[in-house]
Amino acid sequence: MEALPPPLVARRPPAPQLTIELRQQAFEPLEALAAWQSAGPGAGEPAGLHAGTGAGTGPGGGGWAPAESQFIGRVRGCTAAGDPLEALELEHYPGMTEVRLEQLARECAARHGVLALLVVHRVGRIRPGEAIVLVAVAADRRGPAQRCGMELLEALKHEAPFWKREWSGGRGTWLEGNTAL
Amino acid sequence: MRVCVKLFASLRERAGWGERWVEIAAAPVSPAELWSQLAPELQLSAQLPDGIRVAINHAFRPAGTPLADGDELAFLPPISGG
Repeated sequence: MEALPPPLVARRPPAPQLTIELRQQAFEPLEALAAWQSAGPGAGEPAGLHAGTGAGTGPGGGGWAPAESQFIGRVRGCTAAGDPLEALELEHYPGMTEVRLEQLARECAARHGVLALLVVHRVGRIRPGEAIVLVAVAADRRGPAQRCGMELLEALKHEAPFWKREWSGGRGTWLEGNTAL
Repeated sequence: MRVCVKLFASLRERAGWGERWVEIAAAPVSPAELWSQLAPELQLSAQLPDGIRVAINHAFRPAGTPLADGDELAFLPPISGG
């Protein structure tokens, strides 16, 4: 009689991996993405597929997911009024901003059942063209990957304590809200 | 009873200070009531404006929440993140 294959071990989906960083200095979003991807779901585990998640580990030990979305937001070259922008200043509430970001990310990740989530957000003085924010989501399917990323971006724009001040012509003006979606 | 009041962004600039310990003689006091005491200094209305949110000990709270000794109370102007 043929030997039966070993039974599949039912695994509960792991809790989403959350990586949330505030950066005081300029960062290169593609480098941050690459570092996150190499440490992603399944990273460090034996090469192969992971039952129940759809993700896997490559031969080099890096994790991968079937669906991944990314958003990069950069400072515009002009103010809301259309004048040349010297810099965008991002103020935050040390202690609360980190707590809120982690809370928003955890809730969003759970709501969409994603595998991993990355948020990198600048604070301090940021020049035109430099990245303000990076949001990336790894999931089993494209819907959760894209919807979670979009929802988290909107949430952090309205629910995490950050305030933007535009510097132009040597004067700073606090923004009273966000740009239109 | 003392609470630590924090102001940010445009509110901090209006006041000229970002952090101050405030003595409260007659408890209970809510953030909305404490705001009415600070409002003249900020040249804003005594009634907490709609766009200003309240946080107590790093969590958003309703403006009517009673404060406790040692609380960190923050008044937050409209958020613009991302």
